Amino acid sequence: MTNSTLNFEPDRRHFLALGMGAAAVLVLPGAVRAADRAADIRTLAFDGDTLLIAGATLRASLDGGRSWQERPTPSPVSSIATHPARPGRLLAGLARGGVAVSGDGGSSWTTRSDGLASGEVTALAVAAGNPDMIYAAIRGDGLWKSEDAGATWALAMDRPWLDAAERDPLTLVSVDLDTGMGGIWIYAGTEKGLTRVPDCFCRWQDVQPGNAMDALAAGDAPPAEAPLPADEPVLSLASALTAPSKLYAALPSGVWASQDGGVVWTHKAEGQGRAIALHPRDENHVAAILNGALKLSRDGGATWIALAIA
Amino acid sequence: MRRAATIGAAIVALSAIGFAVLAQSETDEDLVEGLSFLGEPVTVADISAGQALYAENCASCHGAELEGQPDWRRRLDNGRMPAPPHDETGHTWHHSDWNLFIVTKGGVGAVVPGYESDMPAFEGILTDDEIADVLSYIKSTWPDRQRKFQAEVSVNDKGDL
Ligand code: HEC
Repeated sequence: MTNSTLNFEPDRRHFLALGMGAAAVLVLPGAVRAADRAADIRTLAFDGDTLLIAGATLRASLDGGRSWQERPTPSPVSSIATHPARPGRLLAGLARGGVAVSGDGGSSWTTRSDGLASGEVTALAVAAGNPDMIYAAIRGDGLWKSEDAGATWALAMDRPWLDAAERDPLTLVSVDLDTGMGGIWIYAGTEKGLTRVPDCFCRWQDVQPGNAMDALAAGDAPPAEAPLPADEPVLSLASALTAPSKLYAALPSGVWASQDGGVVWTHKAEGQGRAIALHPRDENHVAAILNGALKLSRDGGATWIALAIA
Repeated sequence: MRRAATIGAAIVALSAIGFAVLAQSETDEDLVEGLSFLGEPVTVADISAGQALYAENCASCHGAELEGQPDWRRRLDNGRMPAPPHDETGHTWHHSDWNLFIVTKGGVGAVVPGYESDMPAFEGILTDDEIADVLSYIKSTWPDRQRKFQAEVSVNDKGDL
């Protein structure tokens, strides 16, 4: 960062965290300002109809992205999670470590890190069927869980092992599909792709078609699969609470969607995907960071409009 | 009488962890109340056989007290997971009878294709009946909550895992 960038944005402390070029700012201050705000965003979430965008700062829009209110953050946010059964309650995984909770839509925060390992919280999720069950991934450490909305934490599981090494979950999402083990799945995106673990934390495993074992036993052709592109990180995942087999993923190649719990994926939007969120009551209402801009789709990703972050 | 002594010891062991043993005079078998494996009733003799088989075949990894390997939630350097506990502190009770049977007989790769693990496949080492006995013994150590949970998971498992 340089002094000239600071001159354009004297009121924005988070600018210090950005590495945008000063020259570009001089040429196109307005456009770059909007792009910066989006570049700053690491995570998106819906709190009911309120759209939240967070990174070094937190902003909330109550009117579908037409206007934005800045809210305080305890420190830079890497991941934000909500649950429709707890309106106004935001959980934030913090880039410098720890988890914070707000009960008032982000106006005030308390840290909730008792027993949690230190280190960047790379991903955070709330269990679909239990709003007080929270999962947090800690960089270089593992997957932690709290059964009391963050008051206390315990190690649940080590990190997934993919392509001969442990990988950090870059995103976590509770997917309300039956594991056959009395619970549901937690999906994780990593730098080496998608993986998942049952919420009893027995083992990380690839996403398999539900009937793969039957087919194997019967000697039938294996069910069709169209996985996410290999060699791309899965940066952000969202699961539809209203239709749990429907998943969205943000990757460097864009936005992808699955209708079957992650076995067959289709490419919904081109561009550098970064973050994705789904409205809690409408699985076709999708928000994404694409090519550094905030985009909204009301038709499951077929068409998108860009939102300005003012 | 050897059998009576074994049963006596098993009853002592079982009542210590708090459940009733039902004497079935007409079959001359002592069924363990509230415990079945793959839908079949479990007898006190099954459990004591299972206990001995467990000590011989499983305890070296899963622990003499079913406590698992130390720090079992953390991966080993080779990327594999240590042996988890089989008591209520582990996750064994989340799996159906069928799943536990297949894992013990075929290893974890039999339920998660391609999965690499240090859990041996006991096919050819233990008979199906012996596997059932070991797993019945493991189940007999669980508190009520875990047994009820696992019974429900077993009922819901259509055999596809
Ligand atoms: C050589 C060590 C070793 C021996 C001996 C062994 N196991 Fe295991 N077992 C493991 C390991 C390691 C795992 C964890 C596998 C994983 O998840 O990667 C495991 C997992 C299991 C699981 C799955 C538990 C769960 O909740 O997912 C079952 C069931 C099991 N073992 C049963 C047995 C039984 C029964 C015996 C004896 C007949 C036995 N094991 C003997 C190492 C062993």
